[in-house]
Parts: sequence; structure tokens; C-alpha cells
Amino acid sequence: MDFLALLVSTGLVSGAAYGLIAMGFALIYKSTGVVNFAQGELVMLTAYVSFSLANALGLSFIPLLIVTIPIAMAIGLALERLIIRPMLGEPVFSIVMATVGLAVILRGIVVLIWGSEPLNFPAGLPTKVISIVGVPFYPAQLCLLGALALVTFCAWLFLRFTRLGMAMRAVAANETAALLMGVSVDRIHAAAWMLSAAIAAIAGMLFAINFKLAPDMWFQGLKSFPAVILGGLDSVIGASLAGLIIGVIENLAQGYLGEGMREIAGFVVIIVVLMVRPYGLFGSVDIERV
Amino acid sequence: MRTGHYKESVGGLIALSDSKAVWAWTVVLLAALVAAPFLVGAYSLTLMVSALIAVIGAVGLNLLTGTTGLISLGQAGFLAVGAYTNAILLTDYHMPVWVGLPAAGIAGALVSIVVGIPSLRLKGLYLAITTLAFAFIINHIILYAEHVTHGPNGVFVTGAKLFGFGLQRGPALYYLALTLAVATIFAALNLLRTRVGRAWIAIRDHDIAARVMGIDLVRYKLLAFVVSSFIVAVAGALLSLQIRFVNIDVFALILSIEALAIIILGGLGSVAGAVLGAVFLSYLPEAIRLVLSAVIDPASPLYANYVYEIRGIANGLVIVLFLRFKPDGLIGFWRDARKYWSNWPLAY
Repeated sequence: MDFLALLVSTGLVSGAAYGLIAMGFALIYKSTGVVNFAQGELVMLTAYVSFSLANALGLSFIPLLIVTIPIAMAIGLALERLIIRPMLGEPVFSIVMATVGLAVILRGIVVLIWGSEPLNFPAGLPTKVISIVGVPFYPAQLCLLGALALVTFCAWLFLRFTRLGMAMRAVAANETAALLMGVSVDRIHAAAWMLSAAIAAIAGMLFAINFKLAPDMWFQGLKSFPAVILGGLDSVIGASLAGLIIGVIENLAQGYLGEGMREIAGFVVIIVVLMVRPYGLFGSVDIERV
Repeated sequence: MRTGHYKESVGGLIALSDSKAVWAWTVVLLAALVAAPFLVGAYSLTLMVSALIAVIGAVGLNLLTGTTGLISLGQAGFLAVGAYTNAILLTDYHMPVWVGLPAAGIAGALVSIVVGIPSLRLKGLYLAITTLAFAFIINHIILYAEHVTHGPNGVFVTGAKLFGFGLQRGPALYYLALTLAVATIFAALNLLRTRVGRAWIAIRDHDIAARVMGIDLVRYKLLAFVVSSFIVAVAGALLSLQIRFVNIDVFALILSIEALAIIILGGLGSVAGAVLGAVFLSYLPEAIRLVLSAVIDPASPLYANYVYEIRGIANGLVIVLFLRFKPDGLIGFWRDARKYWSNWPLAY
């Protein structure tokens, strides 16, 4: 029972990271119809940026978050303007491949600037173990879970009640109609990239604090795909919940099925979900099948 | 006055080329390629073998992604299947190469059926993500099926012989790769002239319309998977002969991305484009190396640390810039030039 509780709790923690990254994917897919293959790289880049900021300014966790997020949003905006905006109107495949190219570029840039050695990123959080119902947690792990809950709640509020959020949903539902209703689709696309980069920054910082800051962090982006697919590509809230589910599934597979299953359990889930229910748990049912 | 290009019969439309000049230049090119081992050094020959292997793989992927419109991010998986099949048959079972190479292709084709059947219902991004997932699963199976694949230790491939020639160095490997590359190119070109090729193109352009016209989508999509993976797995087998040590790290995701970069760069859907893209991207690292070693001292640690990253960035830049400024790829330059001259003096 202890073993199970431990598996589930650590699964929830890594699942929270997947959930945050997956929300970034879903936000961009929802409003632009593009799967951003560079999301993992965006997470990595913003984590490294906040690492440098922490070293330069000596900030503790919350102020660091407040400084990092605007910078991340600026990076998101710059990427959208440089790579995605000029390709508006091209086939989706081309834009997605452009994000794949962008991913490779960002990966190289991170290693060029920060080197290939893993770095330690304490960010001034306490390291005393806290026990909740007998299950031990590090404060950083609780921060990650809390961040997921908070970001999910904010995303729900944002999409449900704010003007920009409603415009975003309108663009997601029907781009042309939204344009005719006076929504600036260009701006919505830019806003989606900025918000997605902001979520990526939160995910990146917390992931780096919990696990490590290394140039193979981009792989977390791919590992979050199962969460995006399970949640339904265009469901931001679904992605967050699905992240937790995937995290737990991975850990249980590792614990009970055998060594190395953690690495592929998520990808098996992808294939099963796409075969059985391609629109995921919460996605909109409009996947065309032939 | 005859202006432009007229085709007056079906035979003329589907002929490989109606131009004597094209055939003549092809023969000249082939002769030059056959003579190459006598003219260039060992290092250049190794590069040429790499380029030829990339050509085979790119032509294979192009049939799937460029012609049929099924995006695959799992090429590394099929390359791995081919490379491992060949390496294991040669090393552990002491089979000759002429068994190993076709066996690798067949293994790749069989795996592609396993990947293809569940993927058939999907297209576009969903298919890309499934193939990506399959590539990871294939790599995982190879890594953990230690009693067959030697797991993390990898397989050494040595002593491959064909007709008594040592296959793994110099001209012998080059001629094998050249023969297979030429065979692949002609097979692909001819395939595109047949019912199968036209069905694939119809599926790419509009799958519902293709279905309405009586094309069995399941059959032709699966066929595209099988043919493409057969070719890619053969390329993987050749790769195992060239690199001599097969390890799962070789077949990382970046290889799948490079494969897509090649066909985007060359021009999606065109066999000649795939060839151009493969040659260009095979020589790009070499060009970067030359430029870098002119700027930075090759012996310095800085150089050793960053050459891999700079190569990655260059690959990414090539993908992004071509998609942005020349979506029809390298072959587009050729088409533009041809159109310009055949329509001259009229603007096109």
C-alpha cells in the first residue's frame, strides 16, 4: 500500500509537470490549429532564462516567477512574429514543420549558451520533507501541484469570463466567423503564444527545481504529448487533468509492469486513445475519419 | 509555331522523360558516379556513401509523406528495424548480405503493417504523433529485448561479404549503395506512373474524393506504408554496414526530423527533390565543418563541443527558411528555371 501511495504521489508530481506543459500545447492548438512541437524547447529555454535571472539577481521563488513570466511572454511573442505569423495561410503541415525546425534551433541555442552539463536550480525553496497523510512530499513538489491547480483555475476563469478568453474561444470555434465579428485573429494568435510561453515558463521553472535543469529537458515536451492527446488536443482544462492521469499511469506501469515502462507507457496510451477516442476525454468531436 | 510543351498521348504523359537531353545527362551522371571511386579519396567516398544512403531513405519517406500525404515522424524507428535486422542476421546468424538486406526490408515492411493498421484512421498531425509514439516504442523494444538485440550494448557488424568482396569499406560498399540507390529511384519513378502511384497522389490531394472515385483507402494507405518502410529499412541496413556498430542512440528522434527536413528541402512529392534534398543535407554538415574550421581552430575544445549543436541549428534553420521562402523546395528552383526558359520571352 505504501508502495502504491508513493507511486501515485510521485506520479501526480511528474503528471503535474506534464499537465502544465500540455496546457501550453492545447492553448496554441486551440486558437491557432497548430501543434507546437517547440513547446518542450520553450519550457527548457524559459527555465534556463529564469536560472540565469536567479543567479544574476538572487531572487527567491515568487519574485523570480514574476520576473520570468514577462520575459517568457516576450519570447513567445517574438517566436510567433518571426516564425508563425509570416506563414499564415500556408498548409498546417508546413507550419507544424516550421515549429519542428524551431525546436531544433532552440535546442542548439540552449546548449550553445548554457553548456551541456546539468545544472542545479534550487531557487530558494525549502527542502524539508512535508508529510501529507503519511506520504512524504518536498515543498517543491507541492509547489508544482499547487501551480497546476492555480494555472488550471486561472485558465478556466480566463477562457470563461474575460473578453480576450472569449475571443480566443471564438477563434477556436470558427476563425472566419470570429474575424467577421471583429475579433483580431492575428492578435489572438499572438496572445495564445504569449500565454502558452508564460505557462511554459511556470512549467519549466518548477520542473527544473523538482528534477534537474539539463539540455535534455525538451524531451518533456514530447513526453507531454500523451497528456495533450488524452485530454483532447483543443481542451486546455482537459490537458491539465490528463497530465495527472498520464503521470500516474507511467509510474504504475514502471512499478508493476517492469523497468523502462515509464518511458513508453504514455506513448502506448497515445495509440490506444487515438484508436478508441481520437478526440480525447474532453476535446471537441470533429475529427474527420476516412 | 510550337510554344511550350505538348503531350499528345497517354504514353507521352506518363513517360519518365520525353527529352533526349535528360536521358543523355542521366547517363553522364551515372558514368561519373561509377567512375567516382577511382577519382576521389577515401574520405569523399565515405561521404558519398552516406549521401547515397540518405537518398534511399529520403525516396522511401517521400513515397509516404510527399506522395501519399501521410506524415511520419517515425522514420528513425524503421531505420532501426532495418539496421538491427541486418546487423543481427550478419553477426549472430552469419547470414550473407544478400539475405540480410532483403530480410531487413521485409522486417521493416512487417513492422510498418503493425504501425499502419492502427494509424489508418488518422491523418495529418494525429498520424505524425502516432508514428512518433511508435518510433519510441520500437526503440524501447529493441533496447529491452536484450537476448535478441544485445540491448544497450549494440551490435558490431563486421566481415560482411558479397561475391567474395569485403563489403564494408571503400568502393565495394559504395557500389552496393549506388546500385540500390539507382534501383530505388527507378522503382519510385516507375511506381508513380502506375495505378498505385496515381492512387497515392489522389489520396494526398483529397482523400474523400479519392474514395468516391473508387480508391480503396485502407489498401493504398497501407501499401504506401509497406513500400516506404521497406525502402527505409533497406537504407537502415546499409547504414548498419557503413557505421559498423549499431546502437540505439543512432536512431534518435533527430534522425526522423532530418528525414522530413530532407524531403521538405528537396520538394515534397518529387523523387528528384528527395534526391536533391538528401545530397544537400548530407553535405551541409561537411560545409559547416569547413566554414567552422576556417573560423575556429579545429583542435580547440570549443570546436568539439559545439560542432554538433551548430549542425543542429543549421538543420533547423534550413527547415524554417525553406518552408518560409521556398515551400516547393530545391526542385522548385529547377522548375522555375525550366519554366523561364521554355516560356521565354514571355514572363511566367
